[in-house]
Amino acid sequence: MRNPAALLAAAEFDPAISVDGLVPGGVVHPESGEEVAALLAMCDQHKFTATPVGGGTKLALGNVPPKMDVAVSTLGLGGVRAYEPSDLVCSLGAGARFGDVQAVLAEHGQTIPLDAPDDATIGGLVATAIAGPRRLGNGSLRDLLIGIEVAHPSGTVTHGGGMVVKNVSGFDMPRVYHGSLGTLGIIVSANFKVLPLPQRETTVVGTHQRLNEALAAARRIRQSRIMPLALEVSRSGDGWSTAVRIGGHEATLDGAVLEVQRLLGHDPQLIEGPESSAWWRGYISATDLRLEHDAALLRLSVRPRDVDTMAEGAVGALSQLGIASPVVAISPGLGQVIIRLEPEPADAHDRFLTARDVLSALADHAVVLAAPPAWKRGIDVWGPAPATLPVMKALKEQFDPGGVLNAGRFVGFI
Amino acid sequence: MDRSALIDRLIAVCGERGVFHTRSDLMVYEYDGSVDGSVETALPVAVTLPTSTEQVAEIVRIANLAGLPVTPRGAGTGLSGGAVTQDGGIIIALTRMDRIIEIDREDRTALVEPGVINLELSETTTPLGMFFAPDPSSQRACTVGGNVAENSGGPHCLKYGVTSNHILGLEVVLPNGDVVWTGSTPAGAPGYDLTGAIVGSEGMFGIVTKALVRLTPNPQSTLVQLAAFPDLDTASTAVSRIIAAGILPASLEMMDNLTIQAVEPAYHAGYPMDAGGVLLVETDGLIEEVAALGEEITAICKNSYATEVRSATEKAQRDLLWKGRKMALAAMGRLSPNYYLHDTVVPRSQLPATVARVREIGDEFGIEIANVFHAGDGNLHPLMLFDRHKPGDVERVLGAGKEIINWCVSVGGALSGEHGIGTEKRGYMTMVYTGEDLAAMAGLRNAFDPGGRLNPGKVFPKGYSCGEVRALRAQAIAQKHDIHPV
Repeated sequence: MRNPAALLAAAEFDPAISVDGLVPGGVVHPESGEEVAALLAMCDQHKFTATPVGGGTKLALGNVPPKMDVAVSTLGLGGVRAYEPSDLVCSLGAGARFGDVQAVLAEHGQTIPLDAPDDATIGGLVATAIAGPRRLGNGSLRDLLIGIEVAHPSGTVTHGGGMVVKNVSGFDMPRVYHGSLGTLGIIVSANFKVLPLPQRETTVVGTHQRLNEALAAARRIRQSRIMPLALEVSRSGDGWSTAVRIGGHEATLDGAVLEVQRLLGHDPQLIEGPESSAWWRGYISATDLRLEHDAALLRLSVRPRDVDTMAEGAVGALSQLGIASPVVAISPGLGQVIIRLEPEPADAHDRFLTARDVLSALADHAVVLAAPPAWKRGIDVWGPAPATLPVMKALKEQFDPGGVLNAGRFVGFI
Repeated sequence: MDRSALIDRLIAVCGERGVFHTRSDLMVYEYDGSVDGSVETALPVAVTLPTSTEQVAEIVRIANLAGLPVTPRGAGTGLSGGAVTQDGGIIIALTRMDRIIEIDREDRTALVEPGVINLELSETTTPLGMFFAPDPSSQRACTVGGNVAENSGGPHCLKYGVTSNHILGLEVVLPNGDVVWTGSTPAGAPGYDLTGAIVGSEGMFGIVTKALVRLTPNPQSTLVQLAAFPDLDTASTAVSRIIAAGILPASLEMMDNLTIQAVEPAYHAGYPMDAGGVLLVETDGLIEEVAALGEEITAICKNSYATEVRSATEKAQRDLLWKGRKMALAAMGRLSPNYYLHDTVVPRSQLPATVARVREIGDEFGIEIANVFHAGDGNLHPLMLFDRHKPGDVERVLGAGKEIINWCVSVGGALSGEHGIGTEKRGYMTMVYTGEDLAAMAGLRNAFDPGGRLNPGKVFPKGYSCGEVRALRAQAIAQKHDIHPV
């Protein structure tokens, strides 16, 4: 293990890495869990804050940090550490790129069925818990995560779970870290269940002029015998599209495709095989957190039965307010809507705040996934503090009493 | 607070019929599904049977005032000692909170109280086109609350996942008596995944008083296939080949000859008595898909030296094939007066070697061991047969159990796949976790229950109090960085 003090002293200033416009004092590149732990212990001792950074695809998530001393790059913790295709499990370094991992798994006809950018890292995907449309059919990483290794500000590296698909040996630590935004420790590696790739996959896209027609089509799919991998309603040009991704057995998909076509109506488009996955890559890129100009990305969620009302209410309200929403991605089965807001530059900040208030009132939870720092300041992007906040604060206190990790960025400014 | 004042206060909350306090009544609650001798247990001070969340919260507050620990309990079918008290205290039995509050057909969810029986939930929702997927063997008796506490599995986990994958949100009475909800939408509430933390926490983080559970649509078609093999090795090879072919059955169960000898004469499920191993494969999904997969599975089994493959699609036939598996435990009574059901997991590819080692261990300790297992997830259930009245039998069985765990851990396995740690396996925790790993678990527990009042004595090795865990951690840190703890 290299000396943590020397690593800190050698930390370089890298303007390419920034969170909400703040550039960390230096970026360190540890190569093992022990090095991460030693670095964090040193940060704890010197009252530095530390921000884990992987592929940098989701740095926009979270509240504006009060300060950023050290960024800890996980890219040196990469690689496929273990992969047993016959056991349907793998162990991945936190810095492994999602696209690289998928390529290795695909050689064995297997996959981690998640929609994420290729350059995202495994650690970042676990820490941010942002899942894509396939969460409907395959669950999120929460459902696939079976083991984890984490470095803490106490200077220790701990393990939870293991490399078996079923495990109740002690508390479910992996789930605690999933979605914790690196506030309890920095993920060093993670183990997953993998799934066989469907023998064949097809996407059927129907177009509708009006939102309620597109939502009705989605409802017909949800009530049918078809169990799609993904089902999404989204703004598409002047109208709306309902996209259904189905996968399964080579010989039997045709019947399901015909049924989906019939349920969607209006002569839907068929997208087969590799073009189907390409279509979905395009689809998720519209909700990428890396926004290039003054825009905001909001995620609203309710119980699925209420999603039509929420979606129509949100679209209607935004049009009344005169705020452009070029991207509206609705996941009816998940009860979720992701909206990109692009308010007029004049008083854009005020308009954003108004829109957020109006949209939050329609949802059980409304999270600002990404927005310019000026818009984020003064609000909790995660929404009102939950009743469970005292337990969450106590948890943070147990794992990071010095407030080293991503201080201030999580729920309730934890 | 003296004992009679305590009982009076509990009766004021739960009514006369809601509090047990005589010795004979309390003795019943000294037991659960675990084997006598494998877990420690003590007589509770009182057993309460609340009927509402408010009553549960009030009992917890009274227990805090009295300085007594609280142990939540469902149907008491657990096998690791999770529902019995270690050093007295108050048991909160949730079996009278057994209402299915709401079934949402559109969202495919149910809001239930913790005392709802697992199978009753599925039987209620099946006519509506959906079911509760976790199906532990005890599903006729065990409660949803118990499933949440133990993160229960069952044969169908292979495709559908364990309890944790089916819980969307929980109403929980925290150890301080506060009542909170942990989530309600499938997308999850912002913040730490407290629902995920509570599932499988063995009743140590809070008392679940309502659960919003995910229901799974009934499959359009279900096929059960029984394949008989000359031995367990050929059966294991077939399992590997099915998985390698990219097929993910709903369940993949294996039984050895000793199990067949016990169940076939009792239930006439049609298992060939001379088979060395029997594989039960269930596939479900769309009609066309199931038919195609069935043919592939038949071909794979035949190529793996199956002597016979039978298929059943009609419910009555399917149920018959399953009956032998589901009643395997009950049938053991034909072979031996007592059995100790073990639960460990290994990576699937280690199953053949593990089966061989279990056989050796049986020989070494002079015990007959029957094997039933969830082969698809590498979860084995060696059934150790013994007679508790024979001197030394219990010790030999516990010794063999430890050896099996030793082996499973050495090949990358885990201590328990679905039964939990409780007191049964707390002594083994250090075999798979370091002091630092345990300190992290203790940290999680402290966040919920800093006083260690809820179900104390479980999961952590005996004598491993939270204070000691903290001290151990401080020591580990100090050694590592040469910083002396203050």
